[in-house]
Amino acid sequence: MKIRYLSGLALASSLVLSACAGGGTADDSGSTGSTDAASAEGANSLLIYVDPVREPACLAFQEKMAGEAEVTCEVVGQEEILTKVQLSNQTGEGWPDVTFNPSNNVGIYQDPLNGYALNLDDYVDPAIIEGYEGSGDWCLIDGSYWCLKNDLAQTVLWYDTVIFEELGLTVPTTMDEFSATALKLEGTGYVAGAIGDQGFYAGYLWPSGCPISQVVDTDTVRINPDAVECTRVFELVQPLVDAGVLDTRGSFDAGFIEDVARQQNVAMTIGPSWWGEFVIRPEDSWGIEAGRMTAAEMPTWTGESTAWSGEWGGGVWVGNANHPNPQLVADAVVFLATDPDMREDKVTFPGYGPAFKKWRQRLIEDPFYAADPTEAMVIQAPKIRQTERPARFDLRGQLGVLGTEIQGSSDVEAATRTFMDGAAELARGVGYTVVN
Amino acid sequence: MRLKAKTAARINGILMFLPYFVLLVMFAVIPIIMAFNVSIGPSRLSPGGGVGNYLFVLNDFRFLSALANVGLFLAIYLPAMLIVVAGLSLLLDTISSKYTVPLRLAYLVPAGITGSVAILVWYFMLEPSYSPFAPLLAEFGLTEGTDIFNTSNLIYIFALMAFFTGAGNWIVIQYGSLQSIPDEVLEAARVDGANAFQLAFQIKLPMIRKYLIYMLILVFAAGLQIFVEPFLISSSVYPGLAKDWSLNQLSYTLAFTGSNLGAATALSMMLMLVMVGLALIVIYRTDFFDEAVVKTEKERA
Repeated sequence: MKIRYLSGLALASSLVLSACAGGGTADDSGSTGSTDAASAEGANSLLIYVDPVREPACLAFQEKMAGEAEVTCEVVGQEEILTKVQLSNQTGEGWPDVTFNPSNNVGIYQDPLNGYALNLDDYVDPAIIEGYEGSGDWCLIDGSYWCLKNDLAQTVLWYDTVIFEELGLTVPTTMDEFSATALKLEGTGYVAGAIGDQGFYAGYLWPSGCPISQVVDTDTVRINPDAVECTRVFELVQPLVDAGVLDTRGSFDAGFIEDVARQQNVAMTIGPSWWGEFVIRPEDSWGIEAGRMTAAEMPTWTGESTAWSGEWGGGVWVGNANHPNPQLVADAVVFLATDPDMREDKVTFPGYGPAFKKWRQRLIEDPFYAADPTEAMVIQAPKIRQTERPARFDLRGQLGVLGTEIQGSSDVEAATRTFMDGAAELARGVGYTVVN
Repeated sequence: MRLKAKTAARINGILMFLPYFVLLVMFAVIPIIMAFNVSIGPSRLSPGGGVGNYLFVLNDFRFLSALANVGLFLAIYLPAMLIVVAGLSLLLDTISSKYTVPLRLAYLVPAGITGSVAILVWYFMLEPSYSPFAPLLAEFGLTEGTDIFNTSNLIYIFALMAFFTGAGNWIVIQYGSLQSIPDEVLEAARVDGANAFQLAFQIKLPMIRKYLIYMLILVFAAGLQIFVEPFLISSSVYPGLAKDWSLNQLSYTLAFTGSNLGAATALSMMLMLVMVGLALIVIYRTDFFDEAVVKTEKERA
């Protein structure tokens, strides 16, 4: 009987252990950071988590601070940062001191129950904030700055000058013109972009002002698919989908890239500022030939006086409020977010004005673009619509649902409603009251 | 004298069990107690603690769909494993011994691919823009990635991945259990005129029945916790495609992006209860351990 009992116990515990293993994979990767972090504690040491793209900036800061502070740069993917911070919150130690994050994370960190984000107001020179000329206001929550924007991902209208000339098209300045122009592509094989991903949110719903993550106050968020700012998007976009001039796959979909983009068939597309260098140009992505593409200002929605942009990306630097030396943390955030030399050769549009001026020069002179694309980016930078705000629910994850639904049903209204219903549930799940 | 031997046996037993016991306490018992405490602790929407986090999970809009996904996945995966593993191991057992070594290797190779790598392999095989089987896929009208990678196909895709990464190992293991059937038994059956089919279905299968049940339970335990496949496919390949698709994914999301560790641990505790329940069934309602008991009693006598 004893043997039976012991072997039973062994089997039971092996099943239990295996029950823990599934969730454990995430925990394992998370805990490595915390142990390393322990060594970087102390008033003069900083642990910085950056993604591979941002690592050179961190190493430059490390070099700059040599002798003054002990800076550790650790490469951690953007997706993992939130997990690691949550784990540190749980254990009460081991936080990374500066992190490079997807933009929405700041809404979660700023939540007092989380408490990770350092309020930068007392530690950052107001001139730095002014250098953003308002384009860094994503980080402004409850009257304080909780992060600094690394780059802006404002949407612009990318268009192919060769196709426009061939078909005798003019660059649309309103969304109605955009729709009319797109419909002229019917039957030509050309398209006006792809919407089966985050691009539909960033390029259509957000600029139109559709309330999806419209944080009213700490406990209230407005999410309403019946708002006219949403319904006008459905009404404008669905006919374009039906006509086949808006592809329902994503802009990064292997099929779309192969069948459409690489065939030089994208006549125009609403997309963020970083697409030029990161998506449109690279040989292994869309591979558009030199001398064709450039960017124009966003078209204006009927009834709006401003041609608003949305944002797709635009990472933020956040400091650790638990560090004993907040000034050091803030200095690191400022350097990483704004140093002009570090931004010059990057694909993304620097949010900080002086850094941008240096970055811009390179693109103006670049023969890849049919015309200077930065003009439109500059005009759109202060026009990122501030109706969408950082919230403490994971809107970024939920955006995947939007893309999946559009790809699956090609019904933009139904897809958006499913996505927004989910967003409302998520918002309630973290304590928001959802209003219309 | 006899008493002394008994004490020695007991000490030996304890010594052998001790290392496992230490690990068990450190990495299972303590985490479970910690998780339980968190699960009944306060959280934003359940400031009073108690069963609030459990109710939060049960009422979560993603819970039922995740449960249904995992249930349907298991409904495909488990029978497929049982039938194919039993069938192929029986076949392996019947063929001439000079082929079994290369065949066993062939069964094991796909099992060398873990869940995370399987995502990439299957993505490239099923994505028409990359797939070497693109013409074949086109025959079935599958010309775009989204024709295959869409929400209604996920259950089949994950079952396929799990099956190919898991079946090979089990075929070889069950082949091993077939080898343990005494030759005399098989010989006697042959003498009595049993043909290959009767031998397989009336002699061999019943004799490895308990090993197959054991396999089913372990496979069920692994399948119930499916995480890596849906997590990876929706975090990189098709963002959001399988978001919160499985129960473990929901637990992960609740903990790390939902800032609700209480609810996450509550869900994990519920999954653990299912596992413990299963373990108890195996121990007390099947005869899996009976042979061991009989043997030791014989030895004692």
